[in-house]
Amino acid sequence: MKTLSKWKRPWVPISFIFILMPLGAATAKDWPVPETLVGKVSALETNQQTFITSGDALKFLPERQLVHEIRSRDVPKLKVLINDIMTVATQMAYDPVKDMGAIPLNISNTDFHRTIVTPAPLRKMKREDGPFSVSRYMFPTSGISTFAGAKVAIYPEDLVAGSVDVAIIGIPSDMSSGRRNAEYAPRYMRAMKTIHTRDIQSLLDPMEVLSIADYGDFQVDNMSGERSIDHITKMVAETASTNAIPMMVGGDTSILYPAVKGIALHKGQKTFGLVHFSAHPDAERQIANTISDTQTIFRLISEKIVDGNDVVQIGLRGQSVDVDTLQWLRQQGVKYHTMAEINKRGISSVIKKVKKEVNRGPDQIFVSIDVSVIEPTQMISAGRIASNGLTLNDVTEAIRYLCAAKDIVGFEITDMSPMLDYSRLSAVNANAVLNACLVGVAVREAGLKPDYVHPLALSHGN
Amino acid sequence: MLVSSTSALICKILTLAGLFSLSLSAFAQDTAGHITGTNPYPYNTVDPREEVPEPIELPDAVLPMLESLSPVDIELLKSGRAKKYTGGADGIEETISAFTADELQAWVDAIRTVLDASIYVEGRDSPNIPLNTEPEEFNAWRVLRPRSLDPEREAGPIKLGRYNGFGGPQTFGGFPLALTKEDLIAGEVDVAILGAPLNMGSGWRDSGPRATAELRIHGRGMGSLDQYVLVNGSSVLKVVDYGDVAVDNLSTERSMEHIRSIVREIAETGAVPLIVGGDHSLSYPNIAGIADVYGKEKVSVIHFDSHYDAWWGGAHLISHGLPVYRLLIEGHVRAADYIQMGLRASGPDKVAFKWMREQGMRYHTMAEIERRGWEAVIDRVVAEASEEGRKLFISFDIDVIDPAFTVATGTPVPGGLNMRESISIVRRLCSESNVVGFDLVELHPALDPTYRTTQNSVHIIKACITGLAMRKEGLTDKHYLSPVSSEHAIDNYYGDQQKYIDATAAEVAKEKEKEEDDKKRSEEEQ
Repeated sequence: MKTLSKWKRPWVPISFIFILMPLGAATAKDWPVPETLVGKVSALETNQQTFITSGDALKFLPERQLVHEIRSRDVPKLKVLINDIMTVATQMAYDPVKDMGAIPLNISNTDFHRTIVTPAPLRKMKREDGPFSVSRYMFPTSGISTFAGAKVAIYPEDLVAGSVDVAIIGIPSDMSSGRRNAEYAPRYMRAMKTIHTRDIQSLLDPMEVLSIADYGDFQVDNMSGERSIDHITKMVAETASTNAIPMMVGGDTSILYPAVKGIALHKGQKTFGLVHFSAHPDAERQIANTISDTQTIFRLISEKIVDGNDVVQIGLRGQSVDVDTLQWLRQQGVKYHTMAEINKRGISSVIKKVKKEVNRGPDQIFVSIDVSVIEPTQMISAGRIASNGLTLNDVTEAIRYLCAAKDIVGFEITDMSPMLDYSRLSAVNANAVLNACLVGVAVREAGLKPDYVHPLALSHGN
Repeated sequence: MLVSSTSALICKILTLAGLFSLSLSAFAQDTAGHITGTNPYPYNTVDPREEVPEPIELPDAVLPMLESLSPVDIELLKSGRAKKYTGGADGIEETISAFTADELQAWVDAIRTVLDASIYVEGRDSPNIPLNTEPEEFNAWRVLRPRSLDPEREAGPIKLGRYNGFGGPQTFGGFPLALTKEDLIAGEVDVAILGAPLNMGSGWRDSGPRATAELRIHGRGMGSLDQYVLVNGSSVLKVVDYGDVAVDNLSTERSMEHIRSIVREIAETGAVPLIVGGDHSLSYPNIAGIADVYGKEKVSVIHFDSHYDAWWGGAHLISHGLPVYRLLIEGHVRAADYIQMGLRASGPDKVAFKWMREQGMRYHTMAEIERRGWEAVIDRVVAEASEEGRKLFISFDIDVIDPAFTVATGTPVPGGLNMRESISIVRRLCSESNVVGFDLVELHPALDPTYRTTQNSVHIIKACITGLAMRKEGLTDKHYLSPVSSEHAIDNYYGDQQKYIDATAAEVAKEKEKEEDDKKRSEEEQ
């Protein structure tokens, strides 16, 4: 049974939880009234009886409570209760006379759009195309922070001219349904300066193998996820068309939708798989806002941007993982791996299974991680924080492998809210995740096997 | 009283009939600004402050360079809007002199592209953000819980703890909880504190449920004795925690009408709504809700803020920078009744100041305080706020206070009020003026690893509750301070203290007399 609790953040005060009542699927199943209660129920008005026997009442009261209420109330009090709940039922749906059906905008404003990329003739600085350093030193140790200390590219021409392999992009959306501040993730992850780190398995430094650029941030409208989608989609597609791999730093997880859609715009729909590390299935189907982090996977599958059979989810747990959602994911062919499975089978055997599933799937994959998948002790900044997660090492090992084994069309890390962690450890660990994928791509580029380990790193040999 | 008891009766009947009192009262009102269906916003949204730049006269020297362009292109270069790129009459020659004909054409086309791309174009752009109206849970976020789901109880405030109200879940100030309008009426509530976890203000986003939760955690002092005036708000007034109002944190606009209806519901009972949040977009539904009850243009506003919040830019009709302008164009408050205090941020600029003056808005910047001194400006502000005994709404953005005291706010600006000044002005306004509503906004607890900001916010709320209690006690003299706590009354050090010494002596004599009377009476009885 699907529950309304998805509407609320996981940390809502206990008093609020009483408001949250289970909601059934769209079509209710008949409810056989227990024999001992038939007498009481038949004393109600006809429409009230129907409300109960049709199972509609179970959308608002769990069966255990409904039985209790019918048994313990006298008929007049039961009538009041059922009437009230029927009233609630009528208030739930959209009413064009009372409710806002669309959020109007100020269309008379001359700065209605703020996502305009400066056209070439208006760019003041004359320079050759190509990524450029933002330091005055040959071997800088500080200065302007960029992702991985990489050179900066501004326009697609720069990516083309520099034959850039990987463009790291910030997308500072801040619409998380959990705790917010993911807007700051790109700036903190740049500031921590820990992205490019030599890989202990291959002893490769991704910066030496790959041409990497900091491609700046994509502009978003942080008053509306909806208004950000088109621009992000367009920019991601444009970036991908230069043959650079877009590696994106959110932002909250709602931008997974335009990010994957942008890749699909360039590569074609259903041409690549999606591996999604997250505590949350993000398969919410029934809310008024048309985009949010809770809906991304649902929208990607239902709009046929990715094939459900090519989607793998790892690390699911928490409030939004209910029977209804898991059933829907199954129907779509999604290969999900919950923490229950991981606890039962062990992380290494589940990761092995994931690798097998991915290797059997499309040649190209998009790898996405909502940092909520990581255990909060190592990622206190997760916007939609969920206890009992995977270790950072489990996650980076898996991502490193996937990025080395497959042709990566895009990578995205989302929902890290740096200011929720005064130690900044979360930002450092988020960089480690991004680095794991960079390393993977570098290993592949260097022609090594995904699980290659340099002999010097494996043993001292003495 | 007759009206409210009748409506309470009607409410009761309707509740019994299974109908909701809220759904009726919410739409029987004048709901200016309430947007329904896919209707556009019904007010003129053109900002009168936006200057349309004058077209330019192209210098003669430039004309030969433009021969390759079409007349339409040349018109574009003359237009005021293109000035930003052409450099105007003075700069255009230098800008284009190095161009080849092709480069010139590309440059003009680029300007056209940008100017066209910036604005809304019918057919190309959506005039609104569509919602998915299909889900049967469309309104679930704000559907109220029927009373009949819970065990029956008398209407009235509920004490949550088993030890004389203590020991239960945290509420604002440890005050009892009220959930419905009937609770407010039955409890004859004076002040209802409402949490509003609206989390869309830019700058920072932690003013959601965490802000209201932390205000409850640290809020015990809200109703304690205020030593300056020796008044204890919680023993004079009936104050309740009215819970949190539901918001849709994916859309400020969509949250507005519901917040407004809950504020209205409180004000209809005669209680003072004290809303804590939450970002400053809240001022719009808060003040509109107050105006729904007391009448349009009947309430003055005093707005503490380092920002003026009457901006009107971007594609959205509400954000934490826009509430003042929106209140004005919908006519809830007259500009002349809008008093602002503590402004010091990078806006308003000259144009905005000029506009504020034209509207008759009374602003008091930190520059004025620097020139005139704190005391003088405060007396002026309190006098303006109390004019003609008008009803007053106080909107208190904690960024008016210096970030040294309230660092946990979305858009801090240094050089603000200190806590002593802030507490004093809020207490004075709430006692000396006719305050009918109050909000405290823009608290973002995660920004402060200590609890200082939350604690200081609690004490602003306390200052208001104390002031309201003083008013009820009749202590409305200008800058009242307790003669007992402000004076030990043993000597005449300042030269003006004889009255206190005499008062103390009289009090002692009275006590003595009473004691002797009692003694005599008990002797007689024996």
